[in-house]
Amino acid sequence: MTAAQRPPAGGRAAGEARRIGLLVGGLVLLAAVAVVSIGVGAHRVPPAEVVRALFDYRGTNDHVIVRDVRAPRALLAAAVGAALAVGGALIQTLARNPLAEPGILGVTAGAGFAVTVGSALGLAGGQGGQLLCAVAGSVLAALLVLAVGRRAPLRLVLTGVALTAVLGGIALGLRLMNPDVFDAYRFWSVGTLAGREQEPLTLPLAAIGVCLLAALALGRSLNVLALGESVAQTLGAGVARTQIVTLVLITVLSGAATAVAGPILFVGLIVPHLARRPAAGSAPWLMAYSMVLGPILLLAADTAARVLLPTGEMPVAIVTAFLGGPMLIWTVRRYGAGAL
Amino acid sequence: MFTRRSTGLVGALALALTLSACGSSDNDADTPGKNDTRVFTADNGKVTIPAHPERVVATGYAVPTLIEAGAPLVGISSWKRGEPMMDDKELATYKKLTKVAGEQASETNYEAIAEAKPDLIVLGVPAPVLGDIDMKRLKSIAPVVAVGPMLPTQWREVSRKHADAAGVLAAYDTMKTTYETKAAELKKKYQSVLPQLKLGHVGSYGDTSKGTFQREFNGSWGTNVAQDIGANYYGKVKKPGPGSKSVSEYPSMEELGDSLGQADAITYSVNADGSVPPSVKAVLDSKLWQNLPAVKKKMTFPIAYTEAATYSDALKTLDAIDTSFAPLLAK
Repeated sequence: MTAAQRPPAGGRAAGEARRIGLLVGGLVLLAAVAVVSIGVGAHRVPPAEVVRALFDYRGTNDHVIVRDVRAPRALLAAAVGAALAVGGALIQTLARNPLAEPGILGVTAGAGFAVTVGSALGLAGGQGGQLLCAVAGSVLAALLVLAVGRRAPLRLVLTGVALTAVLGGIALGLRLMNPDVFDAYRFWSVGTLAGREQEPLTLPLAAIGVCLLAALALGRSLNVLALGESVAQTLGAGVARTQIVTLVLITVLSGAATAVAGPILFVGLIVPHLARRPAAGSAPWLMAYSMVLGPILLLAADTAARVLLPTGEMPVAIVTAFLGGPMLIWTVRRYGAGAL
Repeated sequence: MFTRRSTGLVGALALALTLSACGSSDNDADTPGKNDTRVFTADNGKVTIPAHPERVVATGYAVPTLIEAGAPLVGISSWKRGEPMMDDKELATYKKLTKVAGEQASETNYEAIAEAKPDLIVLGVPAPVLGDIDMKRLKSIAPVVAVGPMLPTQWREVSRKHADAAGVLAAYDTMKTTYETKAAELKKKYQSVLPQLKLGHVGSYGDTSKGTFQREFNGSWGTNVAQDIGANYYGKVKKPGPGSKSVSEYPSMEELGDSLGQADAITYSVNADGSVPPSVKAVLDSKLWQNLPAVKKKMTFPIAYTEAATYSDALKTLDAIDTSFAPLLAK
């Protein structure tokens, strides 16, 4: 938080009202995007039937599509979007690095490595097996990075980058030597929500939900930590404890999101930048806005992924990549380097 | 530089082979017709090949056909997709033979082919894939015959050409006759039930990451053998494309009801061991599948060996279909 970003003392109440207004506006937009997401797809379902499917379920094909395919998929998109966005906000705040994103902890590389090894050993045949391998890999990779680099943000980033390179290299070698493994990995490595809503998602979604609440609760401690470790210690904050809890949250959020949807880049990088300006230096508001903007971005991208191509659906990760690049450039140009 | 050296090496090998062949011609002169040649029409044009080849290299679809027919193979490409359909003897032969290429045409090992000293190279790859192969380099080693399927049903004509080129047509025709006899028997067995059914087929090449499934129509990999016993897969591809896209399509899972709602019975591809491939399992697990009339009437039938590309493979497909369709006769 900088002096320039901090609102003047006299306008604090007005600033708070503005933040609440923006949050409510964001929630309304999120609801609208979710409704569109549930209403749009390869099979045309009339709007009235969409409403009936939600409130008067009869088990027809239209109702099954809305209630059992699109609604769970929209929920999954919202959860993954929120997890990646909040994970990104946490890592950028902790590392004090505007280009940090959850993958920097080696989570994505760890998941990919575990899926590759699991496929080679015959443990990751189905989507369920891949999910378990991805969870285990992301958690182990993050633990390794935390164990080596937790003493300093820079060391943490370097450890994550190094581990990502090592795991990526070994996994690539394994895939090149075994075409079947390459084939299995190919399906997982495309970040997508299609079909993933049919997987057992209770545990990952519950973990994401708990971590999102914890991230909100951690906001005030992060505010203090953002002043710098020395200042935070002077103010009596539990710096080490806050750092460890933050790292655990990042690991679980990004690990769970990557495990259920595969690697989806840019959401964790771009959303915190979009949320930072209205949050005006407040970590709790940064978390709250990220929690709303992440789902909006991923739901919109997932809806676009279903309708953009006449030949069929494309992976949502491709859409986020297309959206993320220009949005990052727009953010930099709109707010200048200071926004970052 | 590497290419030039390699080309030079192959050229030297080819020269050595030629000299070696000239040197041994005296010894072979006693064998009637050994040095005879004939002109063979293939995808790559008219090719002069030995009338009785003795050292054959086979790749792609030619591999299973020529192993089954007992061709004089000295090198083959990898053909993993066919391994589950090989019997013990064929699998032993397949594993013993030198691998001169990988699964992809681009993985061709030209020096290994030259070392195998073939007198005929049979490429079993579709014509568009020939662009991945250095034909000039191969031709410097031995005559090259390229014959590959453009449509799934063409495995019949293609495999016959492979056998013809390799001089093992008699053994091939024996297998063909066995298959046709068996198919005729089953056609008679199911004639009271099968032709009346509107069938749909779910193939194993759906892409779960795109939320699609594979619907196969008449003339596709999963349906063409069943058609030989009287099955009829209704409908046609909405937007036909080249090759197999003219007989199969990839609708969204949301369109499962639209696509297969009219089917009286549905068949689906399973692995050789009976396990269900992930892309098919995603379909079978969906509630939309449970809503299909055919599924509610329990008119669904798994079919193994749907990748059959030889008559010997297709015999296994016939057995699998017979086992799966047997309950139809009791209904």
